[in-house]
Amino acid sequence: MALRFSSAVSLKGVAKRFDRIVAVDNIDLEIKTGEIFGLLGPNGSGKSTTLKMLLGLVPLDAGAAEVLGIDVAKDPVGVKRNVGYVPESPRLYEFLTGLEYLDFISDIYGLTAEEKKLRVNEYLKALELEGREGDMISGYSQGMKQKVALISAFLHKPKLLILDEPLNGLDPKSARIVKDLLHELKSQGVTTLMSTHVLAIAEAICDRIAIMYQGRVLALGSMDELRQRASLPSSGLEDIFLKLTGAGDIRAVVDELLR
Amino acid sequence: MNWKNVTHLIRVDIKSGRLIRGSRLARFWENKILTYVFYGGALILGIAVGALAGYFYNTVLAVDPQFQTLFNQGLLSLFLSLPTLVMVYSVVFTMMQQIQRSGVRFSIQAPYWLPITWEEHTLASTLAKLLGFPLISIVFISSAIVVVSFFTGQVVYAAVTILAVLASSFMASAITEIFRVFQIRFIGAVYKSSGRATVWVRFIGSLAFFILFYIVYFTVTSGVGAVAFVQGVASAQSSVWYIPFVWLGMALYSFMNGLPLQALVFSALSLFFAFSLFYTAVLLNKWFGLYEPPAITVSRGIYAPRAGILGRLGFSPAEAALIRKDFRAFTRRRELMYIFVLPIVVILVPLMQSLGSPSGQSAPPFSSLFSVALIFLFPVAILSVYLGLIMIGEEGGAIWRIYSSPISAESLVKSKYFFIVFLSLIVVTLTGIVGVAVFHPSFRATIVAFAESFLLMFALAAISLAIGMLGADFRELPRPRMIRPEWSLLDFVVCLIAAVVILSPFIPYAFSTVGLGPSIDLYQAVVVSVIISAITTFVAYRIAIRNAKGLLAKAEM
Repeated sequence: MALRFSSAVSLKGVAKRFDRIVAVDNIDLEIKTGEIFGLLGPNGSGKSTTLKMLLGLVPLDAGAAEVLGIDVAKDPVGVKRNVGYVPESPRLYEFLTGLEYLDFISDIYGLTAEEKKLRVNEYLKALELEGREGDMISGYSQGMKQKVALISAFLHKPKLLILDEPLNGLDPKSARIVKDLLHELKSQGVTTLMSTHVLAIAEAICDRIAIMYQGRVLALGSMDELRQRASLPSSGLEDIFLKLTGAGDIRAVVDELLR
Repeated sequence: MNWKNVTHLIRVDIKSGRLIRGSRLARFWENKILTYVFYGGALILGIAVGALAGYFYNTVLAVDPQFQTLFNQGLLSLFLSLPTLVMVYSVVFTMMQQIQRSGVRFSIQAPYWLPITWEEHTLASTLAKLLGFPLISIVFISSAIVVVSFFTGQVVYAAVTILAVLASSFMASAITEIFRVFQIRFIGAVYKSSGRATVWVRFIGSLAFFILFYIVYFTVTSGVGAVAFVQGVASAQSSVWYIPFVWLGMALYSFMNGLPLQALVFSALSLFFAFSLFYTAVLLNKWFGLYEPPAITVSRGIYAPRAGILGRLGFSPAEAALIRKDFRAFTRRRELMYIFVLPIVVILVPLMQSLGSPSGQSAPPFSSLFSVALIFLFPVAILSVYLGLIMIGEEGGAIWRIYSSPISAESLVKSKYFFIVFLSLIVVTLTGIVGVAVFHPSFRATIVAFAESFLLMFALAAISLAIGMLGADFRELPRPRMIRPEWSLLDFVVCLIAAVVILSPFIPYAFSTVGLGPSIDLYQAVVVSVIISAITTFVAYRIAIRNAKGLLAKAEM
């Protein structure tokens, strides 16, 4: 049954604390269906926690989260069934081969034998893992592991992709393939929510971007809207990001280090 | 050779060893007094034992000079056999340390980009292995023989023996270093090219190694084996002088028998052998030291999914996938393979004892019954308890996959429980066959033993799985933890109580067999045991599902 919603993700007043640290502080967020949405922010700004809360991996302290029209707190398994997720550092089962891992994932999501065969072979070929699919994952490079993690998020044709640093360790060709794939999936109505530190990637492929800082959404909008917000009409995302997050005088830091 | 580097590396090795055994990697604090207290204790104990023996020599044995002569001869025999004995014990204990470290995920070797030579690295690794039990025992032995030799007038012999003991322990440690390089590096490289059979070769090879090691270990450490070994060493040393491992003993023998030239030759040969072992280790480290995990190819060709037998048994695709994944984990992960050794060792110990007992001597009936019960019940109980405890924690860092997948708590428990029961069933069958073949129990006893094995297996697996859900430890550095120690302890206590309760209907039967209390039918006891086990299993299984729900709901990573 096809799922249709105007908002793929809806967060209202969501908060999360870890002891005394406020990881996410009362954020509201709406991500439209078919959008590629970028979540940016310095280390420890609450991006990964937000992504995990959307998948029901981290319980909310306050607020409400809905993913594809499903209340995350009430039906986390329902959410997981329709979402493809890649964490920041995906630990795979290293004792399995790439093929066995993807077979495992296919079974977990209940793919038929025909679907498995078709999709697994397609993705292995597209991301140039052919020839190494029978090797144990323990022998893979970081980039190859990332490819396996990405394929495992795409395999069941999810309606929403939650990707934390998805292009980590990928070679330029594979990174390009993934970016094009995300655009293609967008045209098919698939929503992508990604977190990244590579601002050029966010600038190139995201329809809208949210900049998080100290657990809050500091700015949200398209590139043009962010430029207006930062009063930097002709600047790139890096300058906007640094200005909004108050990164200070970078030159002075470099000079200090070189002294 | 930069000795400062060696010292620093030894410190790193010792600390990493403690970290591996300990519970936390970061914020590690060590008490230096506690670190050295064992060596101090060994020294004091050695002095006390030596002084006691000396006192005995000067008082009790002084009544007849012949006694003192006999004592002196015995002491000299001990001196002669000590180098070889210490070498064997040091090899066994340093190997045990090495086996303990085999499941460690990250390398504790110094990074290759640091300005450290392989000689420094190998020397540090070799010396660091001696710290701990081997050195404690050397301190104890040395202090004891020095003190007693003051009374007997053999101080020079004792001093030379200590030098020989130190050299032999160094040789033992160098042997372990060579073994370490072969085990971790060379064998891995060989496996690289063996294709799909790799995992089975590795699995069977590892099991064979562990079993062989434990057979040697039990032979050497069991009381009878050790005495036989000492006697063998003392008498056979001269006849096998061409074996390098006894050259130290031969040097001592020559020295004590006034053969200086022969003593010099054997000392030189021993020194040469020690250096040879060390430089072999250095060479092997140079060749295989920069270890890259081998890319093991398990399958080739186009992907063709199959339905599999688990699907036909009524498992959902997700449950079947989890079971298959766990089966592969237990045959491919070294730290999990170790679990299979446990029941095998439990079988081996009584078997070796029974084989070692004098022929024609029949064991008393109660002892035989106890042996049957031990071989039927103990391995499967241990295995199901241990598997249940670690089945969730063994997921390690990859637990995010379970958390983020649409797997229900019921499916998770069902697949994990089936896996435990399946493996335990194999063990019950094997131990049962061995038990019947060795102890020849009656048909009734066999049926009852099998039935009780199943009952224990079902109940203990469910209890341990329920507790393992709460105590799971997913940390994998520096080694996979799998279960928190306090939960492990709790589980063992709960399982022990449960096992006693399940087997309790047999207590009145056992009394009735020796004429105490009323006569009770064996099968009646089994029926009561079935009821207790069924209730325990059902309750524990429901608790496991409830705990799994909690685990999946609070999947903070």
